[in-house]
Parts: sequence; C-alpha cells; structure tokens
Amino acid sequence: MVGKKELLELNILGQVCPACLLVALKEINTHSDKLKQGRALLTVKTDHRDATRTIPDTARAMGYDVEVRKVATYYEIQVSARK
Amino acid sequence: MAGTTIKRRVAADGETLNRKYSVYIREKVNQLLQVMGSSPLKPEELDDETLLDLDPLGIIAGSFKQVLDHLKDTNRELTITHESLQAIFDATGVGISIIDRDFRIIKYNEKQRALLVDDGIGDVTGKFCHEVYCNKPSPDIDCPAVDTMETGRPVIVREAAKKGKHFQVVTTPLKDGEGNIMGVIEVLLDISDTKRARDAEREQRGFYLTEKSKLATILQSLSEGLIVTDKRGTIISFNNAAESITGYPEAEVLGLDRERFFDMLSLDERAVKRQERLVNRECSARSRDNRRLTLSLSSVPLQDGSGNYSGQVYSFRDISEEKQRQENHYRTEKLAALGELSAGIAHELNTPLGSILGYARLLMRDRDLPPEDRERLEIIAEQAIRGSAIIKRLLNFARQSTPEFADTDINAVIADSLKVLGEEIGKRRISVTTELGAVRPIRADKRQIEQVIINVVLNALQAVAAEGQVLIRTSSMDHSVVIGVHDTGPGISRDVRTRIFDPFFTTKPFGEGTGLGLSVCAGIVSAHGGAIQVESEEGNGASFLITLPVHRNTEQTT
Repeated sequence: MVGKKELLELNILGQVCPACLLVALKEINTHSDKLKQGRALLTVKTDHRDATRTIPDTARAMGYDVEVRKVATYYEIQVSARK
Repeated sequence: MAGTTIKRRVAADGETLNRKYSVYIREKVNQLLQVMGSSPLKPEELDDETLLDLDPLGIIAGSFKQVLDHLKDTNRELTITHESLQAIFDATGVGISIIDRDFRIIKYNEKQRALLVDDGIGDVTGKFCHEVYCNKPSPDIDCPAVDTMETGRPVIVREAAKKGKHFQVVTTPLKDGEGNIMGVIEVLLDISDTKRARDAEREQRGFYLTEKSKLATILQSLSEGLIVTDKRGTIISFNNAAESITGYPEAEVLGLDRERFFDMLSLDERAVKRQERLVNRECSARSRDNRRLTLSLSSVPLQDGSGNYSGQVYSFRDISEEKQRQENHYRTEKLAALGELSAGIAHELNTPLGSILGYARLLMRDRDLPPEDRERLEIIAEQAIRGSAIIKRLLNFARQSTPEFADTDINAVIADSLKVLGEEIGKRRISVTTELGAVRPIRADKRQIEQVIINVVLNALQAVAAEGQVLIRTSSMDHSVVIGVHDTGPGISRDVRTRIFDPFFTTKPFGEGTGLGLSVCAGIVSAHGGAIQVESEEGNGASFLITLPVHRNTEQTT
C-alpha cells in the first residue's frame, strides 16, 4: 500500500524550532487533502530534538498519525492519515 | 529642500510603521506558537523579512483550521460512541450501575432497577447503593463493591437474591486515566430461569437416582437370576441371583456380549437368540464349576420412551433340583405301580409254574419213559425253573423293603462291593481304580447301597466290555455325598439316557437282562432321599452320579 502513495519529503536539517515547526506546518497545510485521504505520506527530516516533540504533538492535534524514527544523525518524522 | 525633508519624514514614518507591524506579527506568532506548545521565535532564527515571507499567521491559521476540523470529527465520533454506549447500557439484558467512592449511584439502567430497586421508588441517581439495593444503612463487610473499591480487583458473587429473583453480581473497578479507583461498575446477571431449570434438573436427577437405586435393590434382591443387555446385546446388569445360579461373578460378566456369555454357559438357546420374547423355556446349561443346570428361562425385549428396541431382559430360575425331584417322583410312582402289577402277575404265575414243574418231575419218575420224552420233560422243567427265577426277581422288585438306616461309611461300602465284584473284574482286562474322598458318614441301609454300587459298577464293567477303565470317586458337596462311577465305554445315547432308569428297559439281548437293575437302584436311592443321574456323550464313556444326603446328626459328628 505504501508503494502506491506519493512520498513527500521535507528536509529541514540545520533549522531549529520554532522555525522548523512553521516550515513543517506549512508543508502539511499545503498537502493536507492528499495526506488526510491517505494518498500521500510526508517525511520530515530534522536534526533538532525539540522538533520531534512539537511537530508530532501539533500534527496529532490536527488529526494525523505521526511516527518518529532516529536515523543515523537525524530524525525522521512521518506524517500520514489517521488509520 | 522642503520636499526632500517631507519625503524623508514619510519614509521614516513608513519604516517605523513597518517595524511596528513586524513586532506585532512576531508577538502574535509567538503567542500562537506557545498555544501549540512551541517556544517563541528568536530574531536570529528568522529576520523580519523572512518571517513575513513565510506567512506565519497564514500557516498557523491553516493548522488551527485542521485542529478544529479534527476536534469536530472527534466530537462527532464521541457523540456517536456515547449514544451507542447508552443504547447498549439500556438495552443489555444485564443490570448495570456505576457507583462512586462514596457508594452513591451515579448511573443505572432499567434492568438494574427491575432487579434491585423496590417498587414505588423513583429515580435513585445520587442515592446510596446500600440503602437502595440492599436496604441497609451502610455497606456490608461482604459487599462486592466494597471489596473491589479496596482491592481494585473484580469480584463475583455467584448467587444473590432479591424480589424473588436470583442473580449473579460482578463488580469491576472504574479507574481514571492515572489508574486511580473512582468507583465501581456493578453488573447483575439474572439467573432466575437458569436456577429454576437447574433446581428442576437436580430434583429430576434426584428422583431418577432414587428410582434407579430402588430398582437396583429390587433386582439384587430377586430370587430369580436377571440379565439385562443393551440394544447391541452387551450385558449391562447381572444380579446376585444370576451370580449364585451360574457361579460367574458380576464383574466377569458385565460388558460381555450376550451370545458370548450364553456360549460360556453352554446354554442350549439357539432359539433364544432369534426370539425376542420367551416364557419359561426349559434350557440346559453348565455353571462355572461345570455343574449341569436346568434353567427355566424367560425373555422380554425392552423399549425406550419412543417405543424403539433398547435391550433385552432375561430372567431365569434354577429348576435342576425341582426337575430331579419331579423325575424321582414319577419314577417312584411308576415303580410302585409296576411293583404292584409285578407282584400280582408273579403270584398268579407262580402256581401254574409250580404245577408245570411238579407234573414234569412226576412224569420223569417213569423209568420206562423214552429218552426223547425225558429230554423234552427236562426242558419243560428247566424252563419252569427259569420262569420261577424271573418271578422271584419280580417279587423282589415288588417287595422292595423299607431301608434300615444306620450310620454308614460309604467308602467302606464301596470297598466291600468291589470285593464282591472281584471275580467279575478278574474276567476282564479292566482297570478299576478308586479316588475316595474324606466324606462324612451318611444315614443309609448299607445292604441296599451296596446293591446299588454293585449294580452300577457291574453295568460299567459290561459297558467297557473287554478293555478299558472304570473309576469310582467319592466327594462331598454341600450337604451330600456324591458317588461317581465313570467308565471309558462307548457312552449312552440321549434316547437311552432318558429311559435308562425305567423298569424292564434293557439294551441287552433278549433273555440276558430283565431291565430291572438300574430301576431298582433308582428306587433305593430315591428311598434314601437322594438322586441318581447319568451323564454321557456317545463315544466318550458314561458317568453315573449318585447323590445321597448327609443326615443332620451325622453331619455334626464330623
């Protein structure tokens, strides 16, 4: 199923909160329809630890499922439609 | 100059205004970020121009719109869930109530009211559960809600009752998000119908067991043997009398196939296997210790509630002794009648025979008698003497005297009899052996019993003819002494066996036997209260069994 989805990526490595929260929210807002309907999956790459809290909390409040993974030297925050 | 100055002032004012707007926007963005749980923007992160380019208020407004949409969806889902739960709460077949830590009823459904709230009481929300449900001023120590409230564990009360209803109570803790016990959910399951059904079943089972026990007692106390099989023919019941008659213990018989057991009994019941219903059929069988039995057998099919064949009941009586007594009685009566007849005939024949002999002898005195006439007269005299001897035996038979009873050692009588038969035995190559058991003395007429033994052993010697064996055995059985005379002769056919004790019945050539020997023996044994019987298979020798009762006072002396 994942293979059929549009994979969106937002690379904000080097940015710090709250700027990265605003940037991530802008990306989510832009693709909200696709994301809510489950046609797309957004991966946010960040190396700012606070962002792994603020982005998931806000995205969940907006009705998305969020998963956070640690990858090498940065984090991947995956935003998708609620199951 | 003035124009330049104005332009400069306007530019300065515009810059100041832009600056104010930027500060305002930054402040509002930070406020909104704080609402979202994020820290405020720092000037070094984003300068004013970049901030304005990013359109932060637009972003946050878009995000808030999604947050609000999500909240609306969540509220809608919650409303549906709440309504569903309420419907389940009301419609469920169990009584439910929610009780807080102070034992006040927060919520309850109609089923709970029907089971626990007394009639005529209105809404009980907010009232104490122990007052409303249990009619008590405070909770009992064994109240399941108290237990759950204290331990946090569910409690089940298997059976409680109120208002004529029986129910099961289950209390489970109601916890907040942090696991603190806020109250108890109490669920009541109405088990009145189940309990009624269970009580009825228990009563029915009790009745069934009582009836079964009664029936078992009746079956066990019956004097008739009883065998019950299931529809496949497997033996499922075997009473005490059946054990006693056949000698087989119940444990050995239960579970056996009917036909297998009938084979073990050598039951002559080919007809029984094919018939479903029998009344007092006389059958021969053998007990476990190989005793010959005569049974009176009846059989009835069993039916289940629907009238289908479900098994068979066989009842039987041991009529061996009854049969023997009957035979003895017939034999005695026959002997008595024949005795009277024989005595009459003998008496009437004796006189003319005496005259024939007398006149024959008188004529033989004539010295001038031609030799051929003398020879004829000698034949007449000889035949008259022979006829007289037959008549003498007939008279002996007819005048069988009453036995003179005395304590008698049967083994000694046998030894004396064999001495008498010594010459007869010596003529043949027959091995005569004895196995004399330690038997008790009996009350008997020694002379008559000796006559019986001589007669039976002589018969055995004649049956074996030239070469073979005769075994004489004595043993004790119950209150009797059994004398067995077994030979290796040709055996006796069934037809001959049934008539062997009849007077004048003989298998010997004409003129060699009167057919009175065994008949006289049977009469003597019968007069002693005993029985004589013959067992034989053609080609396998024969056994004569003489059973004589041990008199009570002679029994006590041993």
